[in-house]
Amino acid sequence: MQEGKILIIDDDPDISEAMTVVLESKNYQVSVARNSREGMDRIQAQKPDLIILDVMMDTPQEGFTLGRQLKEDPKTKDIPVLMVTAVKEKTGLDFKAEAGDETWLPVEEFIDKPVKPQILLEKVGKLISKRK
Amino acid sequence: MEEVLEQASLARRAHWLVQLRWLAIGFLVGAVFVARRILDIQLHEQALYILAGIILAYNTMLHVALRRTDRRRTEQAGNALHRILILQSTADLFILTGILYFSGGIENPFSFFFMFHMIISSTLLSRMQSYIQATIAVVLFGLLLLLDYTGLVQHYPLRGFAPEGLHTDGRFVLGYWFVFATTVYVVVYLATSIVAQLRKQQARYRNANEQLQQKDHIKNEYVLRVTHDIKSHLAAIKSCLDVVESGLLGPLNEEQTDFVERANHRAEKCMHFISSLLRLTRMRMTGHFDRTCFPFKNLLYDSFAAIEDRAAAKRIAAAYEIDPAIDQVCGSEVLLEDTLTNLLSNAVKYTPDGGKVILRANDRKNEVLVEISDTGIGIPPEEIGDIFNEFYRASNARETVRDGTGLGLSMAREVIEKHGGRIWVESGPEGTTFFLTIPKDSAIS
Repeated sequence: MQEGKILIIDDDPDISEAMTVVLESKNYQVSVARNSREGMDRIQAQKPDLIILDVMMDTPQEGFTLGRQLKEDPKTKDIPVLMVTAVKEKTGLDFKAEAGDETWLPVEEFIDKPVKPQILLEKVGKLISKRK
Repeated sequence: MEEVLEQASLARRAHWLVQLRWLAIGFLVGAVFVARRILDIQLHEQALYILAGIILAYNTMLHVALRRTDRRRTEQAGNALHRILILQSTADLFILTGILYFSGGIENPFSFFFMFHMIISSTLLSRMQSYIQATIAVVLFGLLLLLDYTGLVQHYPLRGFAPEGLHTDGRFVLGYWFVFATTVYVVVYLATSIVAQLRKQQARYRNANEQLQQKDHIKNEYVLRVTHDIKSHLAAIKSCLDVVESGLLGPLNEEQTDFVERANHRAEKCMHFISSLLRLTRMRMTGHFDRTCFPFKNLLYDSFAAIEDRAAAKRIAAAYEIDPAIDQVCGSEVLLEDTLTNLLSNAVKYTPDGGKVILRANDRKNEVLVEISDTGIGIPPEEIGDIFNEFYRASNARETVRDGTGLGLSMAREVIEKHGGRIWVESGPEGTTFFLTIPKDSAIS
């Protein structure tokens, strides 16, 4: 059974692999990109149903920039984005724990690292079913 | 920054002088009136009232000019301020000489009032300027005595107060002037020396303070970088442990589950500690947080609800007394709730089974007073001064609860003080009470 295609964009291999195991247990098709350039390529090629995006990659805020780019492009703007972050304290940005503030960061959902398997599945399930 | 600060304090003093001068005008008019009408001392009433009018006029002008420089915080405004200070000081000397001239000259003991001006100049102006002011005073007063003595101008005696003819007694006049001059210079010398010492000391303190702040900033940067690094490793550790614990990779036997759970628990504790440290450090560095106005009563209920179960599990009687008058408070809702929950959970943690924990909140005019009392182990009196310090844990607290972070109370203090409130503690063998005041509408400092 194919539940949906998920792309994880995160430069931490341990975290992305752990998330992969969790998501694959629910039959999601998961692929991983290590940075935003690789992520962009995968998005074009695979047309994922959901993107899980890490905020801190090679440069701080790389995730933010990519998130905005995705929402500006008509081809990708309908793909829901789940932003995963441990960055809150580092950048001093106080963003809401729930759905992102549309006006400046147009992502669907925010969660804090580390993500509990159960919570990850819950949020992913919610976003994917909304899309379908 | 320094420049502006200096200027602000100069401006404050200039305003203060203007205020004093209003009083001086009142005093002059009153003194003339009493001397002439009640004590029946002969003096040139009319001229003195005119002089009072002149002071009134230039004080008004100074007032306006100062208002104008207040609005500009530039270097030119600083210079203008300086000029205004010198100008008013000089004008005062001329006026005082004029007053003395119309009221007996050497016969009038109000010549002592020159010393006030000397002290004020010494504290406000440079050493050089102060000596110039002293010289102006000595010359003006000398000139007054000389003109009176030679009869080149009319003498207005203080008949009914001082013996007549003092102003024509050459030896007396010279002696008087000599003592006057030496007093003026000695006063200026003493005052400027004291002020110079104070300024030097002030500069030293300022310097030391700046260095401390710089060091603190470096420390905070360092902590931020290190903790963030640790946090990302911890996040990875926890993510992996979570996968194993959830059984997604196959079932674990009881012992394996137990050990993975332990590891996960410790990672979580560490994560919690790191997050607190990050939050505290970030707050110290940026000094700001999101500020909203919200019903404070709800926050009190929520924080209480957060510890109710834990209290029940230890058979602790937890209760609250919340003043129904408490309404809106403006500040960081998240941080304030964290702080209260943290203090309440400390109360539960350090209270033995069967004890009591009470949350009280009272509405007071501009602030809310919150009290969190317990019947717990108390804080040793000699350690009470340290408990708000980062990483400090009271000796008996360490014995009771092994893995506290020592950050909770320092965080609480930081949050409350950032809101412009106060936090303090009273503790004895029968338990501990934390008090916090939270201004209802704090301009966050």
